[in-house]
Amino acid sequence: MMAATTPLWEFVDISKAYPGVLANDGVCIKLMAGSIHGLLGENGCGKSTMIKTLSGVQQPDSGTILHKGKTVTISDPQAARELGIATVFQEFSIVPTLSVGENIFLGNMPRTRFGVIDWKKIHADAAAVLAGMNIEIPTEAITGSLSVGEQQLVEIAKAIAMKARMIILDEPTAALGEDEIERLHQLLRDMRADGTAILYVSHRLDEVERIVDEVTILRNGRVVRASGETDINVAQIVSAMVGEDVGEHYPKEHNASEEVVLEARGIATKSGVADASFDLRKGEVLGLGGVLGSGRTEIARAIFGTDEFIRGELLLNGRRVRFRSEIDAIRAGIALVPENRKYDGLFFNFSASGNITAASLGALSRFGVLNLKVEAQATRDLIRDLEISPQAEEKTVNLLSGGNQQKIVIARWLFSQSQVLILDEPTQGIDIGAKIAVYRLINQLTRAGKSIILISSDHDELLAMSDRIAVVQHGAIRRIVSARELSHDALVRASAETADTPKEEAFA
Amino acid sequence: MKRVFDTQLIGPFAAMIIVAVIVALTTDRFLNPGNLSNLFLQVSIVALIAIGSTVVIFAAGIDLSAGSMVALLTMILAQMLKFVGIPLVLALPLILVTGGVFGLFLGLITAYGRIPSFITTLAALIAFRGLALTFNNGSPIFSLDPALEPIFYGKLAGIPLPFFYLLFFYGLAAFTMNFTRLGREIYAVGGNPAAAVLTGINVKKVQTITFVIAGFMTAVGAVLMSARLNSGSPNYGQTLELQAIAAAVVGGASLAGGRGNILATFMGAMTIVIVQNGLNLNAAPSSVQSIVLGLIILLAVGIDMWRAEISALMPRAFGRRETSAKASSREVT
Repeated sequence: MMAATTPLWEFVDISKAYPGVLANDGVCIKLMAGSIHGLLGENGCGKSTMIKTLSGVQQPDSGTILHKGKTVTISDPQAARELGIATVFQEFSIVPTLSVGENIFLGNMPRTRFGVIDWKKIHADAAAVLAGMNIEIPTEAITGSLSVGEQQLVEIAKAIAMKARMIILDEPTAALGEDEIERLHQLLRDMRADGTAILYVSHRLDEVERIVDEVTILRNGRVVRASGETDINVAQIVSAMVGEDVGEHYPKEHNASEEVVLEARGIATKSGVADASFDLRKGEVLGLGGVLGSGRTEIARAIFGTDEFIRGELLLNGRRVRFRSEIDAIRAGIALVPENRKYDGLFFNFSASGNITAASLGALSRFGVLNLKVEAQATRDLIRDLEISPQAEEKTVNLLSGGNQQKIVIARWLFSQSQVLILDEPTQGIDIGAKIAVYRLINQLTRAGKSIILISSDHDELLAMSDRIAVVQHGAIRRIVSARELSHDALVRASAETADTPKEEAFA
Repeated sequence: MKRVFDTQLIGPFAAMIIVAVIVALTTDRFLNPGNLSNLFLQVSIVALIAIGSTVVIFAAGIDLSAGSMVALLTMILAQMLKFVGIPLVLALPLILVTGGVFGLFLGLITAYGRIPSFITTLAALIAFRGLALTFNNGSPIFSLDPALEPIFYGKLAGIPLPFFYLLFFYGLAAFTMNFTRLGREIYAVGGNPAAAVLTGINVKKVQTITFVIAGFMTAVGAVLMSARLNSGSPNYGQTLELQAIAAAVVGGASLAGGRGNILATFMGAMTIVIVQNGLNLNAAPSSVQSIVLGLIILLAVGIDMWRAEISALMPRAFGRRETSAKASSREVT
């Protein structure tokens, strides 16, 4: 680290207001060459606003930006690129229908002297960039066909190809499996050694602890801990972010009974489930552990009626059931809260009420006419009980924070008559306060006698919130153990033992 | 929750009133009782068809088939009345059912055949016109039934009958969209089809139903068209589908689906017809009318898209909307 030298970038007293909110209030950040700087804080603390300012997407209302000690303005994303800033946003900016090589050089394609695109050079240069990153992805591959993790790496390759001196990563690991995260971290360490400044934004504090050199913590638009003011330690970071002692991080209640609700016997599907057997008890949380691509999501799809069985059977309350579609599964009382709440879970054109009752319209109506009074009352109750922002009653859900959105998706199933809930990555991309609220919701669901199948890439969360854990490998459930008997390391090892090239696990 | 008379109605209503005031100030005869009742006759056919077009748009589809379907249905009606000898009281319900069945076919092909509705209904737009030409060697059929004309020109308590059709069908549509399970499911399917599947909504069925509604409303329009001219013709209804979609869009319905108010479509249709009426009274040629209609559509969508910018210029008038429009364009986390 070159701590004594001039910072590569210095942002002084940056303020930015939106109508009704002061999103950034006098924020100062120094970014040193050859250092990984964590920018942390709860949702709504002003991180995204800061990133947008840094990458030239928007202009600050006031403040100074210094590049190597000289005042500059980052007037637009193009200017940011010219100043050597590359931003990897949470939502990828790659074009899925183009090849990897084209994506890496999108916007500045090399040309031959006749003015046409020099394909040879594109693929040769792209291959060189990827080789430098120790990544084996063919440059002719269509980017959309790659796994989410590989797409993420292509995004970073883009930044490296433009010789960025500062790279901003917004939640880079949200969609990655354990070994892909490790690969990304190695890459970042290499870039650090080359003298690149890295700004790292993440909600996964365990991984922040592993990778960053210094942290800046924001709360309500202000810096509450500047670089060097806090140790890089999860407990300290959490209390600085939340501003109070959060108490129990994982408030687990044990509500499991002996009564078996759902039983799977030797399920196999064409989509990759090889052999899944388990039983799920009333009030229990059964965690599915395994790396991305191990077949956890596919098991969920099979139970939910999305994929057809080629072998095996499913018993609900002791009776054999066959679901031909999701509608059958939902009617039988099985619900799925999808991994991608933005695309598969929420109705952005509705406020909270429409989202909460969407799965219960039959029960809510008589002769096809909705009982809007019951709907309004139930919505008000759930907003109060789940501590959802009161604005949710009036505003459409796209205007709410990620944590409130996730609560609303889960509230939908709390309101419905479903017995079994499959939660696929329920806390992905939401802040620590909202995560704890989701854990409390899980308790509330199990207390009400509902059973939960939990899929999570956050091993701490999976261990803490599950009663038992089924270890999934290559589409098969290898063993089921009590969560208390499993250590973090044992779970990581068990699920990663024979991990091969991960496939995309998204719910398509 | 969504109310029948919500803020989505304010804009289209204001637009309609402003246009009416401008036309009234510049044109002497606009406010004549005769002209006003004529206005209702003029708007009725397109406004009724637009109910179906709008419902399809709410579910994130599009229906381009209405114009040709009107021609085909007027020819089938004419054939039944004039050459097959089916009595009017029987022929009318038959035509309405036929329209519904046509819609059912288009819906099934779209939803279960997985062909985008734009393509399905574009194909229907072309093919229905051809089908209409197969009747009576492609010639119009006149003087269908003396009892047909009063359906369009008749009056009840001095008010033209189409007024009551509008009242009935828009009332029914507003009730369906705002108070029934079907209406909610249509908005849900249009808002996020993937999420609708995961909440147990039968997306394909809902999509199909929207086309049945559209086919039925097109048949209602076709009956009025036949009654108005006491004839059937393979040339009727040209560009009617586009006028109906224009009414929906001017009324603020989002072509992406899930957003809009059905009553606003009526105001959209009124706005368009008032402008056309004003131009007519001032003896503007049809070329000018088409150009003006194009500009109105652009302006209506533009005002919606640029709401944030406009409200920045007029903080007081639009102040309440500003925050939501801004916040939606960039998600604050």
